[in-house]
Amino acid sequence: MERETILEVRNATKTFGATKALVDVNFRVERGTIHSLVGRNGAGKSTLVNVIAGVIKADRGIVIFDGMDVSGMSLKERQSLGIRLVTQHASIVPDLDVAENISMGLWARNRLGMIDWKRMHERAREVMDEFGLDVDTRRSVRHLTPVDQRKVNIIRALFGGGKFIILDEPTTSLSSEDRDNLFEFVHRQAEKGITFILISHYLEEILRVSDEITTVRDGFVFSNLKGDANTHDKLARIIAGEDVELVSRDPDKPRATEPLLECREVSATFLKPTSTKVYKGEIVGYVGFPGSGAREICTMLYGLNKIQGGDVLVEGNPVNIRRAGDALKYGICYVPNDRHADGIVGIMPIDENIGLSILRGKLKSFFGLLNLDKERSIAASSVEMLKIKTSSTRALANSLSGGNQQKVVLAKVLACNPRLLILDEPTIGIDIKSREEIIGLIKDLTRDGMSVIYLTNDYDELLRIADRVVIFNDGSIVGEMENKNLTPETIIAIRDKNERVAAE
Amino acid sequence: MSQASATNVKIEAHGLGGDRIARALIDNSVWVLLALGVIIFMYLSPRFFNPFNNIQVYFNIPMQASVMGVLTIGLAGTILLGDIDLSCVGMMAVSAASGVLIFKNFHIPGVLAYVIIVAVGTFLGFINGLLIAKLKTVALIETLAMNTALTGVVLAITRGRTITVSEPEYTWLGQSKAFGTIPYLVFILFFVYIIMHIVWRKTALGRSLYAVGGNARCARVSGINVDRTRIAAFTISGMCAGIAGIMLSSKMSSINSVFGQTYGMDIIAAAVIGGTSLQGGIGKVSGILGGVLLLNFIQVGLQVLGLDSYFVQMATGLIIMLAVVIDSLRIRFQARG
Repeated sequence: MERETILEVRNATKTFGATKALVDVNFRVERGTIHSLVGRNGAGKSTLVNVIAGVIKADRGIVIFDGMDVSGMSLKERQSLGIRLVTQHASIVPDLDVAENISMGLWARNRLGMIDWKRMHERAREVMDEFGLDVDTRRSVRHLTPVDQRKVNIIRALFGGGKFIILDEPTTSLSSEDRDNLFEFVHRQAEKGITFILISHYLEEILRVSDEITTVRDGFVFSNLKGDANTHDKLARIIAGEDVELVSRDPDKPRATEPLLECREVSATFLKPTSTKVYKGEIVGYVGFPGSGAREICTMLYGLNKIQGGDVLVEGNPVNIRRAGDALKYGICYVPNDRHADGIVGIMPIDENIGLSILRGKLKSFFGLLNLDKERSIAASSVEMLKIKTSSTRALANSLSGGNQQKVVLAKVLACNPRLLILDEPTIGIDIKSREEIIGLIKDLTRDGMSVIYLTNDYDELLRIADRVVIFNDGSIVGEMENKNLTPETIIAIRDKNERVAAE
Repeated sequence: MSQASATNVKIEAHGLGGDRIARALIDNSVWVLLALGVIIFMYLSPRFFNPFNNIQVYFNIPMQASVMGVLTIGLAGTILLGDIDLSCVGMMAVSAASGVLIFKNFHIPGVLAYVIIVAVGTFLGFINGLLIAKLKTVALIETLAMNTALTGVVLAITRGRTITVSEPEYTWLGQSKAFGTIPYLVFILFFVYIIMHIVWRKTALGRSLYAVGGNARCARVSGINVDRTRIAAFTISGMCAGIAGIMLSSKMSSINSVFGQTYGMDIIAAAVIGGTSLQGGIGKVSGILGGVLLLNFIQVGLQVLGLDSYFVQMATGLIIMLAVVIDSLRIRFQARG
């Protein structure tokens, strides 16, 4: 099939103050393709798509869409031509139902100018059938599965006349099956002639789904690569601009035998009575969907989820953890899943963020005052150790890129000298280089005896780093095993079989 | 988003001198406005505002501002949390009224009356904190209800009359000067602000206030006791209201049914002018002091110029608006880098 250019960016340059976000970028997208943009956080991907969508204007250069120069057009005018920017959270109202969401701003009206609910739902039903999404249009979006929510978001853009859809990180915090499901959906739309730009950090999927791949690095755009001809490592290298070594566990690491933490028949919301152990110096990988009990046991151990029954023992002694502050006393630390909501105080400087968990610990000084010098020195050494990219430890946490923010969260918990570090999907939305730095650091820390619970649904990452794997489904542990000869397929099989596989 | 952020960091690194000065000016905009106000008033009424002719006016303003200042800093702690305390004036009136009545009826020493007043204010603030933190009532409504109830209590106590308390044993604090020059009330104002500065910047409680106001969920996950922080902020607000109650009643030698009610809105305004964000998490004690002084300076200044009191209120409103505009400019300035 002959491809036709639908969008072209010519010589686009954009600077913010002293930073060159885009440098003389030429970029071309063909109709009906899925064109992926990859690069580190802050590489210039978002700037490029914002220039295309009309959110910001380039300092120089033009954007041609469908043979027309749209450089002078506003966001709204470009929307009416069919350019849509679909971001992760924006544009979906969780408490409205599916039909209301997709027809937002395009409500069907009756003669009196009131909303014609019946017609709106009929139309929504047709649209859902057309795009192959089987959901009740009268359900509020909040109650849909995460992947269906993302689809509704995309359908909304298509229903509004979108034919050139920019998906900014559409798969964040979806499980790998859901990601496949979503990409298959996108692929079907592309076959009907819709064009997609896709921004994602998941290289495996990008390689599988994309027709073309463009890498962005430091404001420069690198040659379009065809989706099938690349290996993962080659792409990773291009993105980072240097060799990124993927961190893996040492195959000859001795099996940990001394338990640090023991759960005896503990239960909580979404967690049936469960017993398990965490050994000293091991990385145990937890796998499970939201609501499967994996996250629930993690938050319970940290005092964020109320324990309803059973006992938790640290080094053989029963402990009573009711708040995060109690957990910290026992050396249990937690890196939350959603770093914006739970991890950082954006309007606080980096050093104060790092000090937040040790205010009544290490930083305590005489007369209830804080030892601010110590805080500064802890912050300075963490910034150096974790390679946090910032001009000053006094810069606001908001000013950092996603990967660096996550490192600040990590610095905050490491300042407590954890004995057990619970990581809840710590690498989501983070570029490869930062991700490998974080994983490498975690691995190093376990060498000094720290234990880690690593909750993730990225099986590739899990199998690279975990010493043991614990699989949750429906509130129970359904598998607990050494990480030997495991593949993502076996993990999925065990998880879905829902039968307890004997440990060892 | 990440793009703009990355930019931010780099700009700081390469920041030009001019940029830094602009940032410093915007960060301390309230003091800049105060200086500007002084210059303008010196030009309009040199006889009165030239410090070489009349230094007294510059001593008077902190005196004028003292009661309001102490109320404001207590309130500001709750704003820093992202909440608000609308019951400051009510707590001030009720605590002062109870202290004065006990002083008059039981002939206790004046200092003991002071202690009772602070204790009553602190207790009322603690109740606020308890209701808001533990029962999860909305601070805006809870403190509004508290204020209405307390205003009613004062009305009931005074029955609309003025209760005078002219014993020097009670009024010395509000009416005497240290070394014959500086009123004790000014000392109290600065003492309270120094203590609060230390609490906000150098204690775990202060840091917790910023953290809870900036992101309460993150504060909780970080191991900060959010409920206790909330209770502490409202309790401090009540304590400040009690102190302000002593100050005002001893200065006026009386309590009446509308005791301190003119401060109701001005204290919120002063906190906001001083750079305290109503969203929570942003604010500093020096800025709030500036806000309090600025508002009082303008009010005194306009009265000296002979402006009708209606216009003074209008001017107060305009200054608050100006402060809000500057605040939003500051946010934009930061976003731009």
